[in-house]
Amino acid sequence: MSVSDTLMRWRYRAVPDHLLGEILTKRWIDNAIPVLILMAVVTVFGSAIPDFFGASSLANLLRQWGEFSLLVLALMIVMVAGGIDLSVGSTFALGNIVALTLMSVAEWTMPAAIAATIACGAAVGLVNGILVGYLRLRAFLTTLVTLIIVRAIVDMLLLKYSVAIAGGFIDSDAWYYLGEGFLLGMPFSVFMTLVIAAILHLVLSRTRAGWHILATGGSRRSSHNVGIPVRRVVCITYVVSGALCALAGLLFASRLGGAGADTGIGLEITALTAAVLGGNSLGGGRGSAVKALIGAITVMIMVNSMVRLGVSSGANSLLLGLVLLAAVAIDVRWLKNRHKLLSNVYVSPTFAPLPPAPATEGDSPYALNDKLRPVELIGLGAIDGPEDVILDDDDHIYAGNRTGDIVRFLAPDYKEQEIYAHIGGRPLGMAFAPDGALLVCVGGMGLYRVTKDREVEKLTDETNRSLFTIIDDSRLRLADDLDVAPDGRIYFSEATVRYDMHEWPVDSLEARGNGRIICYDPNTNTTQTILKNLVFPNGICMTHDGQSFLFAETWACRVSRYYFAGPKKGKVEPVIPNLPGYPDNINRASDGTFWLALVGMRTPSVDLSMRMPGFRKRMARRIAPDEWLYPNINTGCVVRFDETGQILDVMWDLGGENHPMITSMREHKGHLYIGGISNNRIGRLKLDGADTGWTGPKSYWGRT
Amino acid sequence: MIGAVLRAIDNLTGRGDAAVTVPALDGALRPNRRLDEARTRWPLPGVDAIAVLFGSPVASAGTTLYRLADGTAWQPWRKFDGRIACIAAIGDEGLAVVLETGDILIEGGSSEGRSYRVPEGLRCITAIATSPTAIFLANGSATNPAPDWQLDLMQRNASGSLWRIDRDSGKGRRLADGLAWPAGLALDGNSLVFSEAWKHRLARLPLTGGEPVAVHSDLPGYPGRLAPAEDGGAWLAIFAPRSQLVEFVLRERAYKTRMIAEVPRPFWIAPSLRSGRSFYEPLQGGSVKQLGLLKPWAPALSAGLCVRLDRGFQPTASLHSRADGDTHGVTDMAEHQGRVFIAASGDGVVVACDAGTGEEGSLR
Repeated sequence: MSVSDTLMRWRYRAVPDHLLGEILTKRWIDNAIPVLILMAVVTVFGSAIPDFFGASSLANLLRQWGEFSLLVLALMIVMVAGGIDLSVGSTFALGNIVALTLMSVAEWTMPAAIAATIACGAAVGLVNGILVGYLRLRAFLTTLVTLIIVRAIVDMLLLKYSVAIAGGFIDSDAWYYLGEGFLLGMPFSVFMTLVIAAILHLVLSRTRAGWHILATGGSRRSSHNVGIPVRRVVCITYVVSGALCALAGLLFASRLGGAGADTGIGLEITALTAAVLGGNSLGGGRGSAVKALIGAITVMIMVNSMVRLGVSSGANSLLLGLVLLAAVAIDVRWLKNRHKLLSNVYVSPTFAPLPPAPATEGDSPYALNDKLRPVELIGLGAIDGPEDVILDDDDHIYAGNRTGDIVRFLAPDYKEQEIYAHIGGRPLGMAFAPDGALLVCVGGMGLYRVTKDREVEKLTDETNRSLFTIIDDSRLRLADDLDVAPDGRIYFSEATVRYDMHEWPVDSLEARGNGRIICYDPNTNTTQTILKNLVFPNGICMTHDGQSFLFAETWACRVSRYYFAGPKKGKVEPVIPNLPGYPDNINRASDGTFWLALVGMRTPSVDLSMRMPGFRKRMARRIAPDEWLYPNINTGCVVRFDETGQILDVMWDLGGENHPMITSMREHKGHLYIGGISNNRIGRLKLDGADTGWTGPKSYWGRT
Repeated sequence: MIGAVLRAIDNLTGRGDAAVTVPALDGALRPNRRLDEARTRWPLPGVDAIAVLFGSPVASAGTTLYRLADGTAWQPWRKFDGRIACIAAIGDEGLAVVLETGDILIEGGSSEGRSYRVPEGLRCITAIATSPTAIFLANGSATNPAPDWQLDLMQRNASGSLWRIDRDSGKGRRLADGLAWPAGLALDGNSLVFSEAWKHRLARLPLTGGEPVAVHSDLPGYPGRLAPAEDGGAWLAIFAPRSQLVEFVLRERAYKTRMIAEVPRPFWIAPSLRSGRSFYEPLQGGSVKQLGLLKPWAPALSAGLCVRLDRGFQPTASLHSRADGDTHGVTDMAEHQGRVFIAASGDGVVVACDAGTGEEGSLR
């Protein structure tokens, strides 16, 4: 291997390129920019202001942050549902004056005063909710009007009660605890905000009500069409918002104990800046409590630091305005370009060199011949893509097709066919269970069983989640082929966890170990991944010792053997380390050896590109998939080999007249039945000298 | 400096010179199957150039000239020491035959036996055009012989040249050089129209002196020989199609270099006269057979395309053989009495089509 190849190998081992794309598929990546901004703000002001991280400075900041965050959370809830609430500042002031009046003038008990204050805020929210939600008024104008009206009410209350409030004294330690107390080492208001944020997070991400809110914000019309009570959902978000604002006002009242005319003025803009800066979309549908908190911290630090730096209040507002503008711009651009970025970086080919391909001429065991020429065609033009074929005790042929059916061709002449069962997805590998049920790997769905009564049952569609992967690999995306161990456990391959069925060419470009082999145990109904990081694992076939199976890795052009029991348990041994083509399904032959389908042949141009990942990556980005360099899957062959990996026989169809593509073959009573995933036929070839009584089910289960 | 930066940006984003877009087959070049549907097909393995002499077609293949004697099959007529580079009829004087060895021989007419020499140092004659006073030659590349055209493309050379040989004195004079594989010549009044394959264009060189001017650019394939049409205008052979993949590989220096060094030439990612014959050849996504069929629109490294040009050398109609066709690699054609004989080198066949049908998309 040349120096550059060695360097390349280490480069691709050291840098996991695929992780970047996988991170970008995550929803939480939306928080990346807000967090970056927060870090920038902390760095800038932390270095500009002496004693920025001092205890007293932080405690003061935190208390204010507690109240402010409640406002931002209130606004976030409304924004997520697609609305906007400009009255948060006024409602905050209303909560403040109502709480103070009830406590010091009316001298209510604290619980009653708290309940009444929150109810007051909720009532404001209800007015907003009815106007915006039920009467379909524009949210912006409506809440602007409530802002003015509530502010007017606050002013009237101030006129009437401010003197009394200033003169009164609230004789309640519990009341002052709200504003000044500590719980678990943090100010009470912060503790409460965190609890409320946690509850909101759970509601939005884990409950039906939260999903309704997100759905309504994401697409109001679609939500209505699927039966979500859109008007009620919108109304409720305003009520929650009002209640949270009043609660914030209450905390403020407890902390400062005074009512002034400037309480809560301009807060709506500050809160809006915080909400948008945190990454909550103005358009609705995208937002979370965490985003609101991050935005609140950022804005809080900025506003306070500007004050401490002695910047005039005009400049302060100017900065806020500019930040809001920038945040909105980033929000729009990010939403628009995230998918482009993702599509540019997700495909990440790796260095995947193959040993020089064995020859297909001269005295090579793979030398070309015409042995597949006399193949008879079954169902020509009447079946669309039989990836795998299997025959039962009565000689009927079963094959999956592109539209998700299991088609049965009836013995003896296979002229008639029927739809045996409809599963959906893309039926791929098949095997018979000991009880005669048909087990099917269905691409896009998982592992299924079709009982003898033609009932379709799902066996499994998920496995254990890997601890250290970024993408969630618990769901099965491309179950490919399977076989059954003597104890009934089903081993099946999942070709790739990064792509769906129809995207297999992209996985071939990557040629990374994206696939795995999974075991389903019908006795305990559990699914467990047993082998990971395989390069497009495909065919699986039990050996005759009952302790191991053979499996093929398509893009790695090799066949290996895995021991699931016995003294070598857990070991993987190479069987055929270097094939001249891409292996697909493996099945048993009547004489104790194995059949292997080569779905395509290696080409020098592709083999070279396997050593040049950058070339493949740029190709995927620059040119259309129809123009991509593919593994040559227009020509294939059938190979017979034994457990030691010795090639015993090769059958070609030169020119690909009968079988342009071979993905599987199944021996049955002296004949070989051949399937191909993009073929419109099933092939049948008489085997000379094969045991004419031998069938697969008999070989596995000893039945007749 | 700025140019280098811009190129680097282009490389990153796939814009400008790094763009791999290929013009669509549309307008006059809309795909059809006329080449495959031609009723008359005369197989001739290795056929390259074709001309009409005294009313009957003459074709070259390797070192031999063939004549369609009785109109049914090719008969060997003359055999030479070297590979025949190109041929052209000079009225009733005979057939000018350019050999790889550098000889230009006049065969089978009133001037039989006359000969000229290709100017010294030219090893890659691709096309010839004649006038009563001169012979014009196109030399594809200064470094590669004609059969190595794929290598020349991969090297992105532009070292071809155009020459004029005076028929009285036999002296050669260079008309232009620095051309990217000039592969076809046509005399048009007082100027020489030539095809420049690697630049996918037709250009006009005034014989009175001056620089070449593009006549038609951004063709969807690699233009080769030009042949006069009987009612004015010309025929253009497009010997291979362009494809996004090849355009991309041409811009991938590292891959290209290793491919040239490590991959046998028939299996390169490069345009060819005939592709899809071996499973070692590169396969593209759209060429995967579906339900046993290769789609006609499949991206392919070879195709058959012969274009009818009007008097201004603009395409007016075309004859195609698509990815699933069997008339690939058109290298030459000759028109005679309303029929055009088209040499498809890739599939080793000469087909005869009506030069004009009088219908829509007519070749006239």
